Amino acid sequence: MKPKALLSKVGLWSATAAASAALVIGIAPITAKALNIPTEVTEDGKNTYKKFCSACHGEEGKGDGPVARSMLPKPRDFTRGAYKFRTTPSGSLPTDEDIYRTISYGVPNSTMIPWDILTEQQRASVIPVLKSFSEAFEVRKPEAPVAVGLEVRPTEKTVAEGKKIYEEKLECWKCHGVEGRGDGPSAAEQEDDFGFPIKPFDFTTGKFKGGNSSRDVYLRFTTGLNGTPMPSFAKELTDEQRWCLTHYVISLIKPEETSK
Amino acid sequence: MKKLGLGFCLSAVMALTSMAWAAEQPPKKETPPDLYEGTPDWYRAVYKDNVGMKEGSGPFKDYFKPQMLDMYWQPNRHYEPMKNLDHSIFIEKERRDLCVTCHEEATPGVVRDWRSSGHKNPKSTPYLSARTAEIEKRTNRVLNEVHCFDCHADTKKKQIRMPTGEVCGECHRPQFDDFLREREMGRPNHIQSWEANTIVPWYAEAARRGYLYGQHGCDLCHSGAEKCDVCHTRHKFSAAEGRQPEACITCHMGPDHPDSESYGESKHGVIYEKEGEHYDFNRPLSEVRPGKDYRTPTCQFCHMYEKHGRFIHNPVMKGIWRMGTVPPKNLEYTSSLKDYPYGIKIIPDKIDIYSEENVAKRSYWLEVCAKCHSDRFADTYLKSLDEFMFQAHTLADKAQKVVEDLIADGFLYPGAADRDPYPLSDGIEKQLSPAFLGEPIYNAFKTLKGKFPVVGPILGVYGMFLQQQDNPSNIENMYNRLWFWYKLQGYKGTAHVQQDVSWWWGQAPMMMEFTKIQSEAARLRREGRIEKVSLK
Repeated sequence: MKPKALLSKVGLWSATAAASAALVIGIAPITAKALNIPTEVTEDGKNTYKKFCSACHGEEGKGDGPVARSMLPKPRDFTRGAYKFRTTPSGSLPTDEDIYRTISYGVPNSTMIPWDILTEQQRASVIPVLKSFSEAFEVRKPEAPVAVGLEVRPTEKTVAEGKKIYEEKLECWKCHGVEGRGDGPSAAEQEDDFGFPIKPFDFTTGKFKGGNSSRDVYLRFTTGLNGTPMPSFAKELTDEQRWCLTHYVISLIKPEETSK
Repeated sequence: MKKLGLGFCLSAVMALTSMAWAAEQPPKKETPPDLYEGTPDWYRAVYKDNVGMKEGSGPFKDYFKPQMLDMYWQPNRHYEPMKNLDHSIFIEKERRDLCVTCHEEATPGVVRDWRSSGHKNPKSTPYLSARTAEIEKRTNRVLNEVHCFDCHADTKKKQIRMPTGEVCGECHRPQFDDFLREREMGRPNHIQSWEANTIVPWYAEAARRGYLYGQHGCDLCHSGAEKCDVCHTRHKFSAAEGRQPEACITCHMGPDHPDSESYGESKHGVIYEKEGEHYDFNRPLSEVRPGKDYRTPTCQFCHMYEKHGRFIHNPVMKGIWRMGTVPPKNLEYTSSLKDYPYGIKIIPDKIDIYSEENVAKRSYWLEVCAKCHSDRFADTYLKSLDEFMFQAHTLADKAQKVVEDLIADGFLYPGAADRDPYPLSDGIEKQLSPAFLGEPIYNAFKTLKGKFPVVGPILGVYGMFLQQQDNPSNIENMYNRLWFWYKLQGYKGTAHVQQDVSWWWGQAPMMMEFTKIQSEAARLRREGRIEKVSLK
């Protein structure tokens, strides 16, 4: 790909990303804040969970509902308190808003649909139910969300810098593949904390599980994905380097090749 | 003045006519499609009314509980939506997008199939577009996409439904109506295949004796009654696929109707095998140019040809010999076959091969053959098929006579009194009546409680589906193989021009089985006589 095309691509995706970020920042947390997320398990929450969540996640949140067995990836087992998509640092529990966001946004490339079909109140009501499945929430509190500063402007240079990190510094390609297709030499060996084989993400699909905005992608590098082999790079990379890597992986999207 | 008057009248007529044309024509109200249209009242209660898993289907429904799988085979009667994942919210809110979002991951093959189907893009080619326009006109809808929701959502009950032909028929009405016409021909056909599966007493008897799951083989083919995906598989529902011979072979094979084997290894089939990639299956059958689009005919091209250049969306209308089980009227029989169908009302009468209807059907067959063969050759070939069938039925008659004489002379061993009765005899007496079975047969069940031997077409076929204590005996099994396997194999081999099937699977084993039956009868008679002498 010529640098110029690459740049325009990054520009396009950044624009989309900025728009989505605006949406996410603009709607989700505020809505969540405006919402009253109950602190205790309510009847409404239990019923909502039973009716809409338990078929996959199981009555006791073990990710073993009656329809879970044929699903890949497997529905989340809530008993460990390991949540992938967070704004909190690696290893931390998620905030209520993080959980609310995943419920509302869904998880692309999985059977977790965006549950915007439920009312906001219903979605909020299941949060204490999910937390009740894990002792972790009793003994720990989620750490404060990481601060996301101003995004570094995507340029040809940041993409090139990101590529360098991807290929040399962190060797992301070993799992995610040289072209970002999730087919690196170690891809087949990856396992999650629950003992299931896990496929490294294929960036070319453009359907980022934790959200498509550059802020979302940046957060994944910063917070890691708890319960998976994907670590946080908050220590290894500077803030700027994480933005560069963000710009690079977004540039790997090839929706025209992977449109289903 | 006269002319002026005429002109006035004419213009008045024209004005009225144009007013009538201009008036908005309301869409014609169609009666909803009904797969059981024209059937007797009792059919609905045993085949259509949904009972979930509570009871079986057919007249003997109370004698067995269905397999859970039956809900997929016979959805009208048995389908129950899944309980552990309630889909009602998606239907209430008509969230079409979420069907695909989830199932793209849960069942990706289904979604990809649908994406490549005419349902996803009903206007993608000029041909599809024209067909879609017809459907739009008839149903008064705009169809830019036929979605999961349109077929699977029961908006009245707010639950997921398993679509049947009736759902397909809402849009594909001409095809549905053609399919419905199979009933005119009676069994064997596709639309009554579930009836054929469960109306036979041995199905319920086998289930009652713990062989329900042994009847998978029956169910998988006989589930073709209500569904269109038997030939046009989910979720492509491709017309082109339905035109390919492979669409038929999962059922049309094996010892009772080796259609796949006989067509597949015939010259027709072999040329298709070699050159099939050049066959244009996207072309509707009526537009196929033999020799150009197809070098040899397919199952569909011959069997779905109705007459005079027209095709019909069912393959049974032109059948003369049908499955080959029904004896022809045109023979003198020595066995009880002369009395076939013994007053039984629910099975077809003997076939008159030379009836006006069948002579006309033969001419329609010749219309197909004459696309490539001379009329004289084709006629001669099909007449030789008739002669083969006469010979085969004569041989079967002789064999039946041997078995029946043995029974009449009291040499059947073990005798009927000492073995299990005819399958579900109690049920037959209770659930059926002389109106179905005719006085003599019904009374036989009533008085003898099924403790009598039954051989030959069609009730004698039970031995192919259920073996009970000493019933049927060895010689009866031999006769079953002769008339139900070898005769039918010879028929298909001859009809589809496959010499090996005709001879080695048909005529040869038929003859060998005949002499085995003779030897077995002689042995039984000899042993019977020795026993009598020694008892004295």
